Amino acid sequence: MLRTHGLTKNFGGLTAVDDVDFDLGEELCSLIGPNGAGKTTFFDLLTGALEPTAGTIELQVDGEWVDVTDDTTAETATMGLHRSYQITNVFPSASVLENVRVAAQAHGEHAATFWRRADDYGAYIDEARAILERVGLDERAEDVAGNLSHGASRQLEVAIALAGDPDVLLLDEPNAGVSSESVDDIIGLIEDVAEDHAVLLVEHNMDIVMEVSDRVVVLNQGSVIADGPPGAVRDDPAVQQAYLGGYEAGDLAGADTTGDGTGDGAGEGLT
Amino acid sequence: MSRHQVRVLVVLALAAYPALYHLLTQSPVGVEAETLLPRMDTMVALLYFGLFAVSFDFISGYTGYLSFGHAAFYGTGAYFVVLVANGKIPLVPSGTPFMITLLCAGLVAALLAVGIGLVSFRLSGVYFAMITLGFAQVLYVFVRGLEWISSNPRDGASVSGSTHPEGFEVGVPFVDGLNLAIGPLSGDTVTLLGHTLGTNAVSFYLVGAVVLACYLAMQRIIHSPFGQVMVAIRDNEERAEAIGYDTFRYKMGAFVTSGFFAGVAGGLFAGFRRSVTPENTFYFLVTGDALLASIIGGFGTLAGPIFGHFFDESIREFLSPAGQGGGLLPYLQTRLSEGVLSAEVGGLTVEGFIEAALNGHASLYVGIVFVLFVLYVPNGLVGAARDRLGGPVTEKLPDRLWDR
Repeated sequence: MLRTHGLTKNFGGLTAVDDVDFDLGEELCSLIGPNGAGKTTFFDLLTGALEPTAGTIELQVDGEWVDVTDDTTAETATMGLHRSYQITNVFPSASVLENVRVAAQAHGEHAATFWRRADDYGAYIDEARAILERVGLDERAEDVAGNLSHGASRQLEVAIALAGDPDVLLLDEPNAGVSSESVDDIIGLIEDVAEDHAVLLVEHNMDIVMEVSDRVVVLNQGSVIADGPPGAVRDDPAVQQAYLGGYEAGDLAGADTTGDGTGDGAGEGLT
Repeated sequence: MSRHQVRVLVVLALAAYPALYHLLTQSPVGVEAETLLPRMDTMVALLYFGLFAVSFDFISGYTGYLSFGHAAFYGTGAYFVVLVANGKIPLVPSGTPFMITLLCAGLVAALLAVGIGLVSFRLSGVYFAMITLGFAQVLYVFVRGLEWISSNPRDGASVSGSTHPEGFEVGVPFVDGLNLAIGPLSGDTVTLLGHTLGTNAVSFYLVGAVVLACYLAMQRIIHSPFGQVMVAIRDNEERAEAIGYDTFRYKMGAFVTSGFFAGVAGGLFAGFRRSVTPENTFYFLVTGDALLASIIGGFGTLAGPIFGHFFDESIREFLSPAGQGGGLLPYLQTRLSEGVLSAEVGGLTVEGFIEAALNGHASLYVGIVFVLFVLYVPNGLVGAARDRLGGPVTEKLPDRLWDR
């Protein structure tokens, strides 16, 4: 669905993403790594928010591979690549329904119509309502997005990404800051979404990663250091080294959001 | 249909204004009415400048890009009308029907907006505001010095009596019966049921019809899918881009549309006044007045700037200096008795105090009102009403009034 070849991004002297060859099929692939490993930068490169220093990105559109390396975010989105954000990034003054509706409208043929009322296009409203039901926000449809609780905002993040009718969905820490009671809801949502989308998930909570992923890719200091099924990656010595500086394998399953003390200070603040 | 009730009422109230003004000024409270109510020619100015303020709000209030050089489009429309009348524009001869000239004025302004927008939308925030302001000021200086415009371009240009003696006609082009001229002097009067409508009243209705049509067009665009994207851009441009909107194109579309209507507003102004100066068209304070109207009326509410400008102009006229029509100053000077006027309080006569406090200081008071609005009514008149009602005024007000 999506592949990169030799993808590299330098910020001045710092290489945030270093020669990454990556291929995403129709699967739920988790992208993990310590803070500053370059995960969010990798997302920004894929969607076109950042321009790569070197390398190519290709997206499968209707079965054909298309080079999207130089495309803008809007262009990749139109081709079916959508993302959610680590830090909630919605339309705060609009209602929840309007947030999703305007996203659903973007891939339709009426996006730039200016002579008819938006209310006349009931299909987008129905589509938006269906998506809100799917993510569990249907009862909050009329609320102003800026007033939502953190957990609901995270659901709205995913809803907006879904509304673009994506083939490939990049989810950037959908669980970030979510209380433990709500985590199960979001896990259910991720699994549900993966049924009919190729999903690339950035996630710090290893319990979730091990539970939901078909495949796990580990990024450290911009490079892929492991790639494979969850169990194999967990037991990989290189991964343990990167995450825990050589602690026992059993500890990794319990490591959650921090991945602290791993000597990746150079990349701090990049995600 | 409740959505339309409020709008219809506002339009009807405005339509009744000339009759109301006439009746009240002839009544026993005529002097008070003259003091408080805006004169008819002020009302015409209110309409065309209100349209300009709405067009300013259309881009600035809805996409969040402050177009501080919006006067450039207003000025372009205004100068275009005068220059066409003076036979200076190739392909558009002096006798062209005003409605067609007006359309062309809008299109020329829109074309200018394409040029300014292509450069300016590379920037955002305060830099966008500054570069558009820069463009407008360059045009202002340019127009002041361009002798092709008139013999004394610093003082602007007037419609020449020799090339275009008749008034500018609003109506259906090429159908004589369906046209009436606008202008305080050159306009038509209409006698209806034994009552004569003066030139200003006729102009008020004609200019009002054009302004209403433009307002409804912008209203329609705001509520269309395109308009929803404009609002999305204001709210969060990054996300709007991420869900698949090429925001540059949407911003350009909004800017050019806004430029078109600003050009039409300028054209109406020139058609009514028959003369333009760089100061009342291209100068940055013209944009400042539109900004003032938008902030008082409500930024990001389409009707707000009209009410805001009405408010602003009413205060200005109420506090207008001596010799400029009705207002508080002449009212007090004629109404207070000689004894009161000459009474001395702390070494200052009452007359002297009134003179010092009121003569020519309207801007000072408007400034104070502006500061108070920014501090206490930050969403403006219409915005505050919307917040209070919990939704768009046109939708919520009828419920509140009639349905309980």
